[in-house]
Amino acid sequence: MSNATPSAPFAGVADEQRLRSILYRGAASAFLFALPIIVFLLIWETTVRLGWINATILPSPSNIARRAWVLLDPADPAKSILLTHIVVSLWRALSSFALACVLAIPMGLFLGLNRTAYLIASPLLSLLLPLPAVAWAPIFLVIFGQGDITIIAVCFLGAFFPILYSTIQGVRAIGRHSLWVVRSMGASRFDIFRRVLLPGALPALISGLKLGMAHSWRTLVAAEMLAALTHGLGFMIFAARSYMDVSTMFVGIVCLALIGLLIERGVFGSLEALTIHRWHGNGKVGSHR
Amino acid sequence: MSVDTSGIRLQRYTRSPASSGLAIPMARIALILVPLVAWEVCSRLGLINGFLFPAPSAILNKLWVQSGPNGNPPYAILWHVADSMLRLLSGLSLAVIIGTLLGVGLGMSQRARLVFQPIISILMPVPTLAWTPVLLLVMGIDNRTTILVVFLAAVFEMIYIVASGIEMLNVKMLWVAWSMGASRRQVFWRVIIPGIFPCLITGTRLGTGYAWRALIAAEMLAASSYGLGFMIYDASEYMNIGVIYGGVMMIAALGYLLENVLVGKIEAATIEKWGVLNER
Repeated sequence: MSNATPSAPFAGVADEQRLRSILYRGAASAFLFALPIIVFLLIWETTVRLGWINATILPSPSNIARRAWVLLDPADPAKSILLTHIVVSLWRALSSFALACVLAIPMGLFLGLNRTAYLIASPLLSLLLPLPAVAWAPIFLVIFGQGDITIIAVCFLGAFFPILYSTIQGVRAIGRHSLWVVRSMGASRFDIFRRVLLPGALPALISGLKLGMAHSWRTLVAAEMLAALTHGLGFMIFAARSYMDVSTMFVGIVCLALIGLLIERGVFGSLEALTIHRWHGNGKVGSHR
Repeated sequence: MSVDTSGIRLQRYTRSPASSGLAIPMARIALILVPLVAWEVCSRLGLINGFLFPAPSAILNKLWVQSGPNGNPPYAILWHVADSMLRLLSGLSLAVIIGTLLGVGLGMSQRARLVFQPIISILMPVPTLAWTPVLLLVMGIDNRTTILVVFLAAVFEMIYIVASGIEMLNVKMLWVAWSMGASRRQVFWRVIIPGIFPCLITGTRLGTGYAWRALIAAEMLAASSYGLGFMIYDASEYMNIGVIYGGVMMIAALGYLLENVLVGKIEAATIEKWGVLNER
Protein backbone atom coordinates (compact mmCIF):
# COMPACT_ATOMS: atom_id res chain seq x y z
CA MET A 1 0.00 0.00 0.00
CA SER A 2 2.81 2.43 -0.81
CA ASN A 3 0.76 4.41 -3.27
CA ALA A 4 -2.29 4.72 -1.03
CA THR A 5 -4.59 7.67 -1.63
CA PRO A 6 -3.47 10.75 0.32
CA SER A 7 -6.75 11.45 2.05
CA ALA A 8 -9.96 9.55 2.22
CA PRO A 9 -12.59 12.23 1.51
CA PHE A 10 -11.10 13.31 -1.82
CA ALA A 11 -10.76 9.73 -2.89
CA GLY A 12 -14.41 9.22 -2.12
CA VAL A 13 -15.36 12.16 -4.28
CA ALA A 14 -13.13 10.96 -7.11
CA ASP A 15 -14.61 7.49 -6.86
CA GLU A 16 -18.10 8.89 -6.94
CA GLN A 17 -17.28 10.99 -9.98
CA ARG A 18 -15.74 8.05 -11.73
CA LEU A 19 -18.73 5.88 -10.88
CA ARG A 20 -21.07 8.55 -12.19
CA SER A 21 -19.13 8.87 -15.43
CA ILE A 22 -19.13 5.08 -15.86
CA LEU A 23 -22.86 5.01 -15.26
CA TYR A 24 -23.38 7.88 -17.65
CA ARG A 25 -21.29 6.25 -20.33
CA GLY A 26 -23.12 2.95 -19.84
CA ALA A 27 -26.49 4.62 -20.14
CA ALA A 28 -25.38 6.50 -23.25
CA SER A 29 -24.11 3.37 -24.99
CA ALA A 30 -27.26 1.48 -24.00
CA PHE A 31 -29.32 4.28 -25.48
CA LEU A 32 -27.24 4.28 -28.67
CA PHE A 33 -27.68 0.52 -28.88
CA ALA A 34 -31.44 0.64 -28.30
CA LEU A 35 -32.22 3.60 -30.56
CA PRO A 36 -31.89 1.82 -33.94
CA ILE A 37 -33.90 -1.11 -32.60
CA ILE A 38 -36.68 1.20 -31.44
CA VAL A 39 -36.69 3.03 -34.76
CA PHE A 40 -36.75 -0.30 -36.59
CA LEU A 41 -39.73 -1.47 -34.53
CA LEU A 42 -41.54 1.84 -35.10
CA ILE A 43 -41.06 1.61 -38.85
CA TRP A 44 -42.33 -1.97 -38.76
CA GLU A 45 -45.35 -0.92 -36.70
CA THR A 46 -46.31 1.98 -38.96
CA THR A 47 -45.90 0.03 -42.22
CA VAL A 48 -48.17 -2.68 -40.84
CA ARG A 49 -50.68 -0.13 -39.51
CA LEU A 50 -50.76 1.67 -42.85
CA GLY A 51 -51.48 -1.64 -44.54
CA TRP A 52 -48.32 -1.73 -46.66
CA ILE A 53 -47.51 -5.18 -45.28
CA ASN A 54 -50.10 -7.90 -44.95
CA ALA A 55 -50.75 -8.11 -41.20
CA THR A 56 -51.67 -11.79 -41.38
CA ILE A 57 -48.16 -12.59 -42.54
CA LEU A 58 -46.15 -10.01 -40.62
CA PRO A 59 -48.05 -8.81 -37.52
CA SER A 60 -47.12 -5.53 -35.91
CA PRO A 61 -44.81 -5.53 -32.88
CA SER A 62 -47.61 -4.26 -30.64
CA ASN A 63 -49.73 -7.18 -31.78
CA ILE A 64 -46.93 -9.63 -30.97
CA ALA A 65 -46.42 -8.04 -27.55
CA ARG A 66 -50.14 -8.31 -26.80
CA ARG A 67 -50.09 -11.96 -27.87
CA ALA A 68 -47.08 -12.59 -25.63
CA TRP A 69 -48.95 -11.01 -22.70
CA VAL A 70 -51.97 -13.25 -23.29
CA LEU A 71 -49.80 -16.37 -23.59
CA LEU A 72 -47.75 -15.42 -20.56
CA ASP A 73 -50.89 -14.96 -18.48
CA PRO A 74 -49.11 -13.17 -15.61
CA ALA A 75 -52.15 -13.37 -13.36
CA ASP A 76 -51.71 -17.10 -12.94
CA PRO A 77 -48.08 -18.14 -13.44
CA ALA A 78 -48.76 -21.79 -12.62
CA LYS A 79 -51.02 -22.18 -15.64
CA SER A 80 -49.19 -19.83 -17.98
CA ILE A 81 -48.91 -21.49 -21.41
CA LEU A 82 -45.76 -19.68 -22.48
CA LEU A 83 -43.96 -20.42 -19.22
CA THR A 84 -44.79 -24.11 -19.52
CA HIS A 85 -43.35 -24.21 -23.04
CA ILE A 86 -40.21 -22.40 -21.89
CA VAL A 87 -39.70 -24.66 -18.87
CA VAL A 88 -40.16 -27.82 -20.92
CA SER A 89 -37.72 -26.59 -23.59
CA LEU A 90 -35.14 -25.52 -21.01
CA TRP A 91 -35.41 -28.84 -19.21
CA ARG A 92 -34.77 -30.77 -22.44
CA ALA A 93 -31.87 -28.56 -23.49
CA LEU A 94 -30.20 -28.58 -20.08
CA SER A 95 -30.56 -32.30 -19.46
CA SER A 96 -29.11 -33.16 -22.85
CA PHE A 97 -26.32 -30.65 -22.27
CA ALA A 98 -25.51 -32.15 -18.85
CA LEU A 99 -25.47 -35.64 -20.35
CA ALA A 100 -23.14 -34.46 -23.11
CA CYS A 101 -20.78 -32.86 -20.55
CA VAL A 102 -20.64 -35.99 -18.41
CA LEU A 103 -19.69 -38.17 -21.37
CA ALA A 104 -17.70 -35.81 -23.59
CA ILE A 105 -15.31 -34.23 -21.07
CA PRO A 106 -13.76 -37.48 -19.73
CA MET A 107 -13.58 -38.87 -23.24
CA GLY A 108 -11.97 -35.66 -24.47
CA LEU A 109 -9.41 -35.77 -21.64
CA PHE A 110 -8.56 -39.37 -22.52
CA LEU A 111 -8.24 -38.71 -26.25
CA GLY A 112 -6.28 -35.52 -25.61
CA LEU A 113 -3.75 -37.20 -23.33
CA ASN A 114 -3.36 -40.42 -25.26
CA ARG A 115 -1.77 -39.66 -28.60
CA THR A 116 -2.24 -43.12 -30.05
CA ALA A 117 -5.93 -43.18 -29.19
CA TYR A 118 -6.35 -39.75 -30.74
CA LEU A 119 -4.64 -40.79 -33.96
CA ILE A 120 -6.82 -43.86 -34.18
CA ALA A 121 -10.08 -42.07 -33.46
CA SER A 122 -9.52 -38.90 -35.49
CA PRO A 123 -10.87 -40.14 -38.85
CA LEU A 124 -14.05 -41.35 -37.18
CA LEU A 125 -14.38 -38.02 -35.34
CA SER A 126 -13.87 -35.94 -38.46
CA LEU A 127 -16.58 -38.01 -40.13
CA LEU A 128 -19.04 -37.57 -37.27
CA LEU A 129 -18.26 -33.92 -36.47
CA PRO A 130 -19.81 -32.32 -39.59
CA LEU A 131 -22.81 -34.66 -39.45
CA PRO A 132 -25.83 -32.53 -38.47
CA ALA A 133 -27.38 -33.80 -35.24
CA VAL A 134 -30.85 -33.43 -36.75
CA ALA A 135 -29.97 -36.13 -39.28
CA TRP A 136 -30.19 -38.64 -36.40
CA ALA A 137 -33.76 -37.58 -35.69
CA PRO A 138 -35.45 -39.97 -38.18
CA ILE A 139 -33.55 -42.95 -36.73
CA PHE A 140 -34.58 -42.04 -33.18
CA LEU A 141 -38.11 -41.35 -34.38
CA VAL A 142 -38.37 -44.91 -35.66
CA ILE A 143 -36.70 -46.46 -32.61
CA PHE A 144 -38.16 -44.36 -29.76
CA GLY A 145 -41.16 -42.72 -31.42
CA GLN A 146 -42.07 -39.10 -30.79
CA GLY A 147 -41.38 -37.64 -27.39
CA ASP A 148 -38.79 -36.49 -24.92
CA ILE A 149 -36.30 -39.32 -25.45
CA THR A 150 -35.91 -38.57 -29.15
CA ILE A 151 -35.54 -34.83 -28.55
CA ILE A 152 -33.02 -35.22 -25.76
CA ALA A 153 -31.02 -37.78 -27.74
CA VAL A 154 -30.82 -35.46 -30.76
CA CYS A 155 -29.82 -32.45 -28.64
CA PHE A 156 -27.29 -34.60 -26.80
CA LEU A 157 -25.57 -35.43 -30.09
CA GLY A 158 -25.67 -31.76 -31.03
CA ALA A 159 -23.84 -30.79 -27.85
CA PHE A 160 -21.55 -33.83 -27.55
CA PHE A 161 -19.21 -33.31 -30.48
CA PRO A 162 -18.34 -29.62 -29.97
CA ILE A 163 -17.53 -30.30 -26.31
CA LEU A 164 -15.49 -33.40 -27.14
CA TYR A 165 -13.57 -31.60 -29.86
CA SER A 166 -12.76 -28.54 -27.75
CA THR A 167 -11.68 -30.66 -24.78
CA ILE A 168 -9.29 -32.62 -26.99
CA GLN A 169 -7.88 -29.44 -28.51
CA GLY A 170 -7.56 -27.81 -25.09
CA VAL A 171 -5.65 -30.73 -23.57
CA ARG A 172 -3.43 -31.16 -26.61
CA ALA A 173 -2.52 -27.47 -26.57
CA ILE A 174 -1.03 -27.68 -23.07
CA GLY A 175 2.27 -29.09 -24.23
CA ARG A 176 4.38 -31.80 -22.72
CA HIS A 177 6.92 -29.54 -21.05
CA SER A 178 4.68 -28.23 -18.33
CA LEU A 179 3.53 -31.77 -17.65
CA TRP A 180 7.14 -32.98 -17.47
CA VAL A 181 8.13 -30.15 -15.15
CA VAL A 182 5.33 -30.82 -12.74
CA ARG A 183 5.80 -34.57 -12.86
CA SER A 184 9.53 -34.31 -12.28
CA MET A 185 8.83 -32.25 -9.19
CA GLY A 186 6.83 -35.16 -7.87
CA ALA A 187 3.25 -34.09 -8.39
CA SER A 188 0.63 -36.74 -7.96
CA ARG A 189 -1.78 -37.63 -10.74
CA PHE A 190 -4.56 -35.69 -9.04
CA ASP A 191 -2.31 -32.64 -8.64
CA ILE A 192 -1.41 -32.75 -12.31
CA PHE A 193 -5.06 -32.90 -13.19
CA ARG A 194 -6.12 -30.12 -10.85
CA ARG A 195 -3.22 -27.70 -11.25
CA VAL A 196 -2.09 -28.23 -14.83
CA LEU A 197 -4.62 -29.98 -17.02
CA LEU A 198 -7.75 -28.29 -15.78
CA PRO A 199 -6.54 -24.66 -15.81
CA GLY A 200 -4.63 -25.22 -19.04
CA ALA A 201 -7.53 -26.74 -20.92
CA LEU A 202 -10.14 -24.48 -19.40
CA PRO A 203 -10.29 -21.69 -22.01
CA ALA A 204 -10.89 -24.20 -24.78
CA LEU A 205 -13.15 -26.26 -22.56
CA ILE A 206 -15.39 -23.33 -21.70
CA SER A 207 -15.62 -22.17 -25.28
CA GLY A 208 -16.51 -25.76 -26.12
CA LEU A 209 -19.21 -25.80 -23.46
CA LYS A 210 -20.54 -22.53 -24.79
CA LEU A 211 -20.60 -23.90 -28.31
CA GLY A 212 -22.16 -27.13 -27.09
CA MET A 213 -24.94 -25.29 -25.30
CA ALA A 214 -25.56 -23.10 -28.34
CA HIS A 215 -25.72 -26.18 -30.58
CA SER A 216 -27.99 -27.95 -28.13
CA TRP A 217 -30.32 -24.94 -28.03
CA ARG A 218 -30.38 -24.56 -31.80
CA THR A 219 -30.86 -28.25 -32.42
CA LEU A 220 -33.65 -28.29 -29.85
CA VAL A 221 -35.82 -26.05 -32.02
CA ALA A 222 -35.61 -28.39 -34.99
CA ALA A 223 -35.98 -31.50 -32.85
CA GLU A 224 -39.07 -30.11 -31.13
CA MET A 225 -40.63 -29.25 -34.46
CA LEU A 226 -40.07 -32.82 -35.65
CA ALA A 227 -40.68 -34.85 -32.54
CA ALA A 228 -42.48 -32.98 -29.75
CA LEU A 229 -45.95 -34.14 -28.77
CA THR A 230 -47.39 -31.37 -26.61
CA HIS A 231 -44.93 -28.80 -25.32
CA GLY A 232 -41.78 -26.86 -26.06
CA LEU A 233 -41.06 -23.59 -27.83
CA GLY A 234 -40.25 -25.28 -31.14
CA PHE A 235 -43.51 -27.21 -30.90
CA MET A 236 -45.37 -23.98 -30.12
CA ILE A 237 -44.00 -22.28 -33.23
CA PHE A 238 -44.64 -25.23 -35.49
CA ALA A 239 -48.12 -25.86 -34.14
CA ALA A 240 -49.04 -22.18 -34.54
CA ARG A 241 -48.30 -22.58 -38.23
CA SER A 242 -51.30 -24.89 -38.66
CA TYR A 243 -53.57 -22.15 -37.31
CA MET A 244 -51.84 -19.34 -39.26
CA ASP A 245 -51.19 -17.80 -35.84
CA VAL A 246 -48.20 -15.71 -36.87
CA SER A 247 -48.09 -13.60 -33.69
CA THR A 248 -47.53 -16.72 -31.59
CA MET A 249 -44.77 -17.77 -33.94
CA PHE A 250 -43.02 -14.46 -33.45
CA VAL A 251 -43.48 -14.69 -29.67
CA GLY A 252 -41.71 -18.06 -29.84
CA ILE A 253 -38.89 -16.67 -31.97
CA VAL A 254 -38.30 -13.77 -29.58
CA CYS A 255 -38.29 -16.15 -26.59
CA LEU A 256 -35.81 -18.48 -28.28
CA ALA A 257 -33.46 -15.62 -29.08
CA LEU A 258 -33.72 -14.07 -25.61
CA ILE A 259 -33.12 -17.31 -23.74
CA GLY A 260 -30.23 -18.24 -26.02
CA LEU A 261 -28.67 -14.84 -25.44
CA LEU A 262 -29.20 -15.06 -21.67
CA ILE A 263 -27.52 -18.46 -21.47
CA GLU A 264 -24.60 -17.37 -23.61
CA ARG A 265 -23.94 -13.97 -22.08
CA GLY A 266 -25.27 -14.51 -18.56
CA VAL A 267 -24.21 -18.03 -17.64
CA PHE A 268 -21.09 -18.54 -19.72
CA GLY A 269 -20.00 -14.92 -19.54
CA SER A 270 -19.92 -15.02 -15.75
CA LEU A 271 -18.33 -18.49 -15.79
CA GLU A 272 -15.51 -17.13 -17.92
CA ALA A 273 -15.12 -14.13 -15.64
CA LEU A 274 -14.97 -16.40 -12.60
CA THR A 275 -12.39 -18.83 -13.94
CA ILE A 276 -10.37 -17.86 -16.98
CA HIS A 277 -10.06 -14.16 -16.37
CA ARG A 278 -9.08 -14.80 -12.78
CA TRP A 279 -6.59 -17.57 -13.52
CA HIS A 280 -5.06 -16.17 -16.64
CA GLY A 281 -4.84 -12.58 -15.45
CA ASN A 282 -5.79 -10.55 -18.47
CA GLY A 283 -8.84 -11.27 -20.50
CA LYS A 284 -7.06 -13.20 -23.21
CA VAL A 285 -9.20 -16.16 -23.97
CA GLY A 286 -8.01 -18.73 -26.46
CA SER A 287 -11.03 -18.14 -28.59
CA HIS A 288 -9.46 -19.50 -31.76
CA ARG A 289 -11.01 -22.78 -32.49
CA MET B 1 34.43 -32.31 -8.59
CA SER B 2 33.57 -35.18 -10.81
CA VAL B 3 30.04 -36.42 -10.69
CA ASP B 4 29.38 -40.06 -11.00
CA THR B 5 27.00 -40.45 -13.89
CA SER B 6 27.31 -44.17 -14.25
CA GLY B 7 24.20 -44.72 -12.19
CA ILE B 8 22.00 -42.62 -14.46
CA ARG B 9 20.45 -44.69 -17.14
CA LEU B 10 20.52 -42.88 -20.45
CA GLN B 11 17.28 -43.21 -22.22
CA ARG B 12 16.65 -41.91 -25.64
CA TYR B 13 13.16 -40.67 -26.42
CA THR B 14 11.89 -42.98 -29.09
CA ARG B 15 8.52 -43.08 -30.67
CA SER B 16 6.51 -45.91 -29.34
CA PRO B 17 6.10 -48.76 -31.82
CA ALA B 18 2.34 -48.28 -31.90
CA SER B 19 2.67 -44.85 -33.53
CA SER B 20 4.88 -45.96 -36.39
CA GLY B 21 4.34 -48.01 -39.49
CA LEU B 22 1.07 -49.63 -40.29
CA ALA B 23 -0.37 -49.94 -36.80
CA ILE B 24 -2.19 -46.60 -36.76
CA PRO B 25 -3.84 -46.84 -40.20
CA MET B 26 -4.88 -50.42 -39.41
CA ALA B 27 -6.37 -49.38 -36.09
CA ARG B 28 -8.16 -46.47 -37.76
CA ILE B 29 -9.78 -48.74 -40.29
CA ALA B 30 -10.55 -51.27 -37.58
CA LEU B 31 -12.33 -48.67 -35.45
CA ILE B 32 -14.75 -48.03 -38.29
CA LEU B 33 -14.94 -51.55 -39.70
CA VAL B 34 -15.17 -53.68 -36.54
CA PRO B 35 -18.48 -52.16 -35.33
CA LEU B 36 -19.89 -52.48 -38.83
CA VAL B 37 -18.86 -56.13 -39.09
CA ALA B 38 -20.22 -56.81 -35.59
CA TRP B 39 -23.46 -55.12 -36.60
CA GLU B 40 -23.63 -57.21 -39.77
CA VAL B 41 -23.03 -60.46 -37.90
CA CYS B 42 -25.46 -59.69 -35.09
CA SER B 43 -28.11 -58.63 -37.56
CA ARG B 44 -27.65 -61.75 -39.68
CA LEU B 45 -27.71 -64.03 -36.64
CA GLY B 46 -30.80 -62.29 -35.29
CA LEU B 47 -29.08 -61.15 -32.09
CA ILE B 48 -30.40 -57.62 -32.59
CA ASN B 49 -33.69 -56.53 -34.02
CA GLY B 50 -33.23 -56.87 -37.77
CA PHE B 51 -36.02 -54.41 -38.47
CA LEU B 52 -34.53 -51.56 -36.43
CA PHE B 53 -30.93 -52.42 -37.26
CA PRO B 54 -30.74 -53.96 -40.73
CA ALA B 55 -27.36 -55.31 -41.80
CA PRO B 56 -24.97 -52.73 -43.31
CA SER B 57 -24.72 -54.81 -46.46
CA ALA B 58 -28.49 -54.56 -46.86
CA ILE B 59 -28.29 -50.77 -46.35
CA LEU B 60 -25.56 -50.39 -48.96
CA ASN B 61 -27.49 -52.62 -51.32
CA LYS B 62 -30.56 -50.44 -50.86
CA LEU B 63 -28.52 -47.30 -51.56
CA TRP B 64 -27.10 -48.92 -54.69
CA VAL B 65 -30.51 -49.95 -55.99
CA GLN B 66 -32.07 -46.58 -55.22
CA SER B 67 -29.34 -44.70 -57.04
CA GLY B 68 -29.64 -46.88 -60.13
CA PRO B 69 -32.33 -47.01 -62.82
CA ASN B 70 -34.40 -49.47 -60.77
CA GLY B 71 -34.94 -47.07 -57.89
CA ASN B 72 -38.27 -45.55 -57.02
CA PRO B 73 -38.25 -43.02 -58.70
CA PRO B 74 -35.31 -43.93 -61.00
CA TYR B 75 -31.96 -42.51 -59.91
CA ALA B 76 -33.67 -41.28 -56.72
CA ILE B 77 -30.53 -40.84 -54.60
CA LEU B 78 -28.78 -38.85 -57.31
CA TRP B 79 -31.75 -36.50 -57.53
CA HIS B 80 -31.85 -36.11 -53.75
CA VAL B 81 -28.15 -35.22 -53.67
CA ALA B 82 -28.46 -32.89 -56.64
CA ASP B 83 -31.39 -31.01 -55.08
CA SER B 84 -29.64 -30.69 -51.73
CA MET B 85 -26.49 -29.39 -53.39
CA LEU B 86 -28.45 -26.94 -55.53
CA ARG B 87 -30.13 -25.49 -52.44
CA LEU B 88 -26.92 -25.41 -50.45
CA LEU B 89 -24.92 -23.72 -53.19
CA SER B 90 -27.54 -21.14 -54.09
CA GLY B 91 -28.19 -20.24 -50.43
CA LEU B 92 -24.50 -20.16 -49.68
CA SER B 93 -23.54 -18.02 -52.66
CA LEU B 94 -26.36 -15.58 -51.81
CA ALA B 95 -25.03 -15.45 -48.25
CA VAL B 96 -21.45 -14.89 -49.40
CA ILE B 97 -22.37 -12.07 -51.77
CA ILE B 98 -24.86 -10.26 -49.53
CA GLY B 99 -22.84 -10.95 -46.39
CA THR B 100 -19.71 -9.51 -48.00
CA LEU B 101 -21.50 -6.39 -49.19
CA LEU B 102 -23.15 -5.79 -45.82
CA GLY B 103 -19.96 -6.59 -43.98
CA VAL B 104 -17.95 -4.14 -46.08
CA GLY B 105 -20.64 -1.51 -45.56
CA LEU B 106 -20.62 -2.04 -41.80
CA GLY B 107 -16.85 -2.16 -41.63
CA MET B 108 -16.23 0.95 -43.69
CA SER B 109 -18.87 3.27 -42.33
CA GLN B 110 -19.08 4.24 -38.68
CA ARG B 111 -22.60 5.52 -39.22
CA ALA B 112 -23.84 2.28 -40.76
CA ARG B 113 -22.34 0.40 -37.84
CA LEU B 114 -24.16 2.60 -35.34
CA VAL B 115 -27.47 1.98 -37.08
CA PHE B 116 -27.30 -1.65 -38.15
CA GLN B 117 -25.09 -3.35 -35.60
CA PRO B 118 -27.78 -3.41 -32.87
CA ILE B 119 -30.36 -4.77 -35.30
CA ILE B 120 -28.01 -7.49 -36.50
CA SER B 121 -26.98 -8.39 -32.97
CA ILE B 122 -30.60 -8.95 -31.94
CA LEU B 123 -31.31 -11.03 -35.03
CA MET B 124 -28.16 -13.14 -34.73
CA PRO B 125 -29.10 -15.23 -31.66
CA VAL B 126 -32.39 -16.40 -33.19
CA PRO B 127 -31.98 -20.10 -34.05
CA THR B 128 -32.09 -20.20 -37.84
CA LEU B 129 -34.62 -23.00 -37.96
CA ALA B 130 -37.10 -20.97 -35.93
CA TRP B 131 -37.63 -18.90 -39.09
CA THR B 132 -38.73 -21.98 -41.04
CA PRO B 133 -42.43 -21.90 -40.05
CA VAL B 134 -42.66 -18.18 -40.83
CA LEU B 135 -41.01 -18.66 -44.21
CA LEU B 136 -43.28 -21.64 -44.83
CA LEU B 137 -46.29 -19.40 -44.30
CA VAL B 138 -44.96 -16.68 -46.56
CA MET B 139 -43.66 -18.85 -49.39
CA GLY B 140 -45.13 -22.28 -48.88
CA ILE B 141 -43.34 -25.61 -49.27
CA ASP B 142 -40.89 -24.52 -51.89
CA ASN B 143 -37.23 -24.35 -52.79
CA ARG B 144 -37.23 -20.68 -51.81
CA THR B 145 -37.94 -21.55 -48.18
CA THR B 146 -35.02 -23.97 -47.84
CA ILE B 147 -32.68 -21.66 -49.75
CA LEU B 148 -33.61 -18.75 -47.49
CA VAL B 149 -33.01 -20.83 -44.36
CA VAL B 150 -29.58 -21.79 -45.69
CA PHE B 151 -28.92 -18.14 -46.48
CA LEU B 152 -29.92 -17.03 -42.97
CA ALA B 153 -27.74 -19.73 -41.41
CA ALA B 154 -24.61 -18.52 -43.17
CA VAL B 155 -25.10 -14.77 -43.68
CA PHE B 156 -24.58 -13.53 -40.12
CA GLU B 157 -21.24 -15.30 -39.83
CA MET B 158 -20.19 -13.73 -43.13
CA ILE B 159 -21.19 -10.23 -42.07
CA TYR B 160 -19.44 -10.57 -38.75
CA ILE B 161 -16.20 -11.98 -40.14
CA VAL B 162 -15.99 -9.57 -43.07
CA ALA B 163 -16.63 -6.57 -40.82
CA SER B 164 -13.91 -7.67 -38.42
CA GLY B 165 -11.61 -8.34 -41.39
CA ILE B 166 -12.00 -4.76 -42.49
CA GLU B 167 -11.09 -3.57 -39.03
CA MET B 168 -7.81 -5.45 -39.37
CA LEU B 169 -7.13 -3.88 -42.77
CA ASN B 170 -4.37 -1.31 -42.80
CA VAL B 171 -5.91 2.14 -43.15
CA LYS B 172 -2.82 3.42 -44.97
CA MET B 173 -3.61 1.24 -47.98
CA LEU B 174 -6.96 2.96 -48.28
CA TRP B 175 -5.31 6.37 -47.91
CA VAL B 176 -2.83 5.54 -50.65
CA ALA B 177 -5.56 4.38 -52.99
CA TRP B 178 -7.73 7.40 -52.27
CA SER B 179 -4.95 9.92 -52.57
CA MET B 180 -4.04 8.55 -55.99
CA GLY B 181 -7.59 9.09 -57.08
CA ALA B 182 -8.97 5.55 -57.10
CA SER B 183 -12.67 5.32 -57.76
CA ARG B 184 -15.02 3.60 -55.34
CA ARG B 185 -15.17 0.54 -57.53
CA GLN B 186 -11.40 0.34 -57.82
CA VAL B 187 -11.01 0.64 -54.06
CA PHE B 188 -13.54 -2.11 -53.55
CA TRP B 189 -12.07 -4.59 -56.07
CA ARG B 190 -8.38 -3.76 -55.79
CA VAL B 191 -7.93 -2.94 -52.09
CA ILE B 192 -10.78 -4.19 -49.95
CA ILE B 193 -11.53 -7.56 -51.54
CA PRO B 194 -7.89 -8.74 -51.68
CA GLY B 195 -7.39 -7.36 -48.18
CA ILE B 196 -10.24 -9.28 -46.62
CA PHE B 197 -9.81 -12.40 -48.74
CA PRO B 198 -8.52 -14.61 -45.90
CA CYS B 199 -11.52 -13.61 -43.79
CA LEU B 200 -13.78 -14.28 -46.73
CA ILE B 201 -12.45 -17.82 -47.01
CA THR B 202 -12.72 -18.41 -43.26
CA GLY B 203 -16.25 -17.06 -43.28
CA THR B 204 -17.19 -19.29 -46.19
CA ARG B 205 -15.76 -22.27 -44.37
CA LEU B 206 -17.70 -21.61 -41.17
CA GLY B 207 -20.78 -20.63 -43.14
CA THR B 208 -20.68 -23.89 -45.10
CA GLY B 209 -20.79 -25.83 -41.84
CA TYR B 210 -23.75 -23.88 -40.50
CA ALA B 211 -25.52 -23.96 -43.86
CA TRP B 212 -25.13 -27.71 -44.20
CA ARG B 213 -26.62 -28.33 -40.76
CA ALA B 214 -29.50 -25.93 -41.42
CA LEU B 215 -30.15 -27.39 -44.87
CA ILE B 216 -30.75 -30.93 -43.61
CA ALA B 217 -33.14 -29.74 -40.91
CA ALA B 218 -34.93 -27.34 -43.25
CA GLU B 219 -35.41 -30.07 -45.83
CA MET B 220 -36.99 -32.27 -43.19
CA LEU B 221 -39.46 -29.53 -42.31
CA ALA B 222 -40.05 -27.82 -45.62
CA ALA B 223 -39.15 -29.87 -48.70
CA SER B 224 -41.83 -31.50 -50.78
CA SER B 225 -40.22 -34.12 -52.97
CA TYR B 226 -36.41 -34.18 -53.06
CA GLY B 227 -33.38 -33.51 -50.92
CA LEU B 228 -31.42 -35.72 -48.53
CA GLY B 229 -33.14 -34.31 -45.45
CA PHE B 230 -36.51 -34.92 -47.04
CA MET B 231 -35.43 -38.42 -47.99
CA ILE B 232 -34.61 -39.53 -44.45
CA TYR B 233 -37.62 -37.81 -42.88
CA ASP B 234 -39.98 -39.27 -45.46
CA ALA B 235 -38.42 -42.71 -44.89
CA SER B 236 -39.07 -42.39 -41.14
CA GLU B 237 -42.76 -41.80 -41.80
CA TYR B 238 -42.89 -45.10 -43.70
CA MET B 239 -40.56 -46.82 -41.20
CA ASN B 240 -38.22 -47.47 -44.13
CA ILE B 241 -35.22 -47.73 -41.83
CA GLY B 242 -32.69 -48.88 -44.42
CA VAL B 243 -33.13 -45.67 -46.38
CA ILE B 244 -32.66 -43.62 -43.20
CA TYR B 245 -29.34 -45.26 -42.36
CA GLY B 246 -28.23 -44.95 -45.95
CA GLY B 247 -29.21 -41.27 -45.97
CA VAL B 248 -27.36 -40.56 -42.73
CA MET B 249 -24.25 -42.22 -44.18
CA MET B 250 -24.57 -40.11 -47.33
CA ILE B 251 -25.01 -36.96 -45.23
CA ALA B 252 -21.94 -37.80 -43.16
CA ALA B 253 -19.84 -38.49 -46.25
CA LEU B 254 -21.01 -35.36 -48.08
CA GLY B 255 -20.49 -33.20 -44.98
CA TYR B 256 -16.97 -34.55 -44.67
CA LEU B 257 -16.28 -33.85 -48.33
CA LEU B 258 -17.68 -30.33 -48.11
CA GLU B 259 -15.94 -29.35 -44.91
CA ASN B 260 -12.56 -31.01 -45.25
CA VAL B 261 -11.89 -31.65 -48.89
CA LEU B 262 -13.64 -28.91 -50.86
CA VAL B 263 -13.14 -25.94 -48.55
CA GLY B 264 -9.75 -27.29 -47.49
CA LYS B 265 -8.65 -27.38 -51.14
CA ILE B 266 -9.80 -23.81 -51.68
CA GLU B 267 -7.96 -22.75 -48.57
CA ALA B 268 -4.78 -24.53 -49.64
CA ALA B 269 -5.00 -23.02 -53.13
CA THR B 270 -5.46 -19.46 -51.92
CA ILE B 271 -4.55 -18.49 -48.38
CA GLU B 272 -1.76 -20.94 -47.73
CA LYS B 273 -0.25 -20.49 -51.19
CA TRP B 274 -0.17 -16.73 -50.84
CA GLY B 275 1.13 -17.06 -47.33
CA VAL B 276 -1.36 -14.53 -46.06
CA LEU B 277 -2.00 -16.49 -42.89
CA ASN B 278 1.66 -16.22 -41.93
CA GLU B 279 1.73 -12.48 -42.42
CA ARG B 280 -0.98 -11.86 -39.90
